[in-house]
Amino acid sequence: MTMANLEKRHLIDSKNLSGESYFTSILHEAYAYGLLNDSEIENIQLQCIKFLAYKSERYNDGESSSIRVEAAESIMKSNLYTIGLYLKSLPDADCAVSELKIGKIPEMYQKGRVLINGKVHSAKHFYIMAKANKITTLNYTYNATLDEGIGIFFKAYNPDYAAHEVMASIDYQLCNPVTDLTGVEFVLKYLENLFIENEFCSYFDAEDIHHLLSGYDEGYKDLLINIFEQLVTATLRCTLANRSVLKLDSLKEEIERLQDELAEDDDYLIALKIHKATEKVLRELRITTLSLRRYIENSLPRITSSIVNAVRTNTLGKTFVSPTNPDLKPKIQFLSSAKMDDKDYREFINELLICRYSSDKLALIKEKVKSFGDIEDLLFDARLSEEEITSVLDIFRDVEIAELIRRHPFKSSIQAVDLSETEQTLRLYVKSYVDQLTTERQERIFGLVNHLMVDER
Amino acid sequence: MSFEIMGISSALIQKQSVAELEKCNDLTAQFGLRLSQCDAVDLVKTRNLALKDNGRIEFGGGVIEKIIREFCNSPYLSMHNYAESLHDLTDMFYYYKNETLDLMSDDDLIKFMKQRFDGICQGSLELLSGRELANMARNIRFGYTSEYSEDLACNEEGEDDDGES
Repeated sequence: MTMANLEKRHLIDSKNLSGESYFTSILHEAYAYGLLNDSEIENIQLQCIKFLAYKSERYNDGESSSIRVEAAESIMKSNLYTIGLYLKSLPDADCAVSELKIGKIPEMYQKGRVLINGKVHSAKHFYIMAKANKITTLNYTYNATLDEGIGIFFKAYNPDYAAHEVMASIDYQLCNPVTDLTGVEFVLKYLENLFIENEFCSYFDAEDIHHLLSGYDEGYKDLLINIFEQLVTATLRCTLANRSVLKLDSLKEEIERLQDELAEDDDYLIALKIHKATEKVLRELRITTLSLRRYIENSLPRITSSIVNAVRTNTLGKTFVSPTNPDLKPKIQFLSSAKMDDKDYREFINELLICRYSSDKLALIKEKVKSFGDIEDLLFDARLSEEEITSVLDIFRDVEIAELIRRHPFKSSIQAVDLSETEQTLRLYVKSYVDQLTTERQERIFGLVNHLMVDER
Repeated sequence: MSFEIMGISSALIQKQSVAELEKCNDLTAQFGLRLSQCDAVDLVKTRNLALKDNGRIEFGGGVIEKIIREFCNSPYLSMHNYAESLHDLTDMFYYYKNETLDLMSDDDLIKFMKQRFDGICQGSLELLSGRELANMARNIRFGYTSEYSEDLACNEEGEDDDGES
């Protein structure tokens, strides 16, 4: 062993230190290992409280001698976070402890504050870069997070009194989530990772990504999915099937073949194959950026485990997604005949309301209503009971029920909170009606729902 | 090792606060008002309790001293009700600091209390707390000035209407 390989032995194990509350965790560790004694700890606490008093006075602009406990606690957390940031910047935990012994809290805070300014500046830079290499996708959370959500942070971040808070609306989940960090450190790391993910995604055509994600789920625009993870998985699928990775194509038979092939291997061998496939992907895409290579490698355990799990449960088709072009799917245009005149409709509803027997109501509907639009209206207006609505729905053919479901899809009580009571009731009745149909008919109806074109009028 | 800030009030700080209150006797003596050491200790206790009850924390003393300095020349304070009134005023002060959402500075709040106590309330702490301060806090929360009164606003509107007709 050469001298260069010798590593300095540290008393404090950095793995035991919290990234979020570094300051308090290092005090705990230092105290536990006897690096700080009681009087030193007390001195640090007293300095922190004095500094809190100073910051609280500034917070109140000197106009109030007291402060709400929650506000004081937040300021204290902010102070400790800022000091922790400075201590983290020191070479190791032992240096941080030495600094705590001799350093003054206000000075350490000021140094941390300078670091925060630098990090905010870096985060802004990464934000601009991540926006510049943003991919074109319909996914809502991706767009909302990058366009607006993170931008809020730069307007709302208060490094003086709430440095530890993440005032941003970050809904888009990364493949390698940022953990154990908070405040500006979290945002900086998130943006770094997002930039790297975007860099990988930009190797592919936006349309190919759209087709791949449509293959995963046609409603992907509303899903909380990670696009990078889907792409990496797709490139692995292409490589394992000896295809070019750039188009992300695949055939169902290939996936079936891969399922059979991988099912024979043990977990270790699958992981090895995936690792080799990753190397091939990196070569084919000519990825040389170290940060991107490292990020992909860090994502592998998560992707490998989902592939292994899919192989074991014989559901590889769900993980290795085949791209689909939603525009090529056959479409059904539903056209309803013209509605009756408003005056006639009012008279008809009045007549219906005074009918005593359900059979009379049904006979009247059959006799007078000729358009789907009118039936849809009367389901709301005629105050029909569930049995009566069921009788009306019995008149419908599959395509009409499918259109009714498309227009009035069932939503859980939480999702339906904005809907009117009659709308909620109708949706519930339609759902109970469909539930009691035979499985075959249900499948037929839901198949039609997917093919019905959205009425643009 | 704790950084919880509710447990800050140490005996040392308390002792310092009592000494500061006793010093105020030099000023209040000319108005015939005086706090015994026991009164001062009780007042500091009341302050700590009021802070705790209202979920607030105070670094260094100051507020009771400010109240004493502002109220000592009130015609409605005498040795009979001095200490008792200071307890109530301290309680009120912290309660209405919260109720005004910290939008009013200490000095402004104490001045308002004194003005109403000597003025419209004529020395009644109940009226000061239950009516004047409550109205003022509501005004502040709703974005009006502390002096705003609905009755006055209605009267002004009525006068404007008369003028127009």
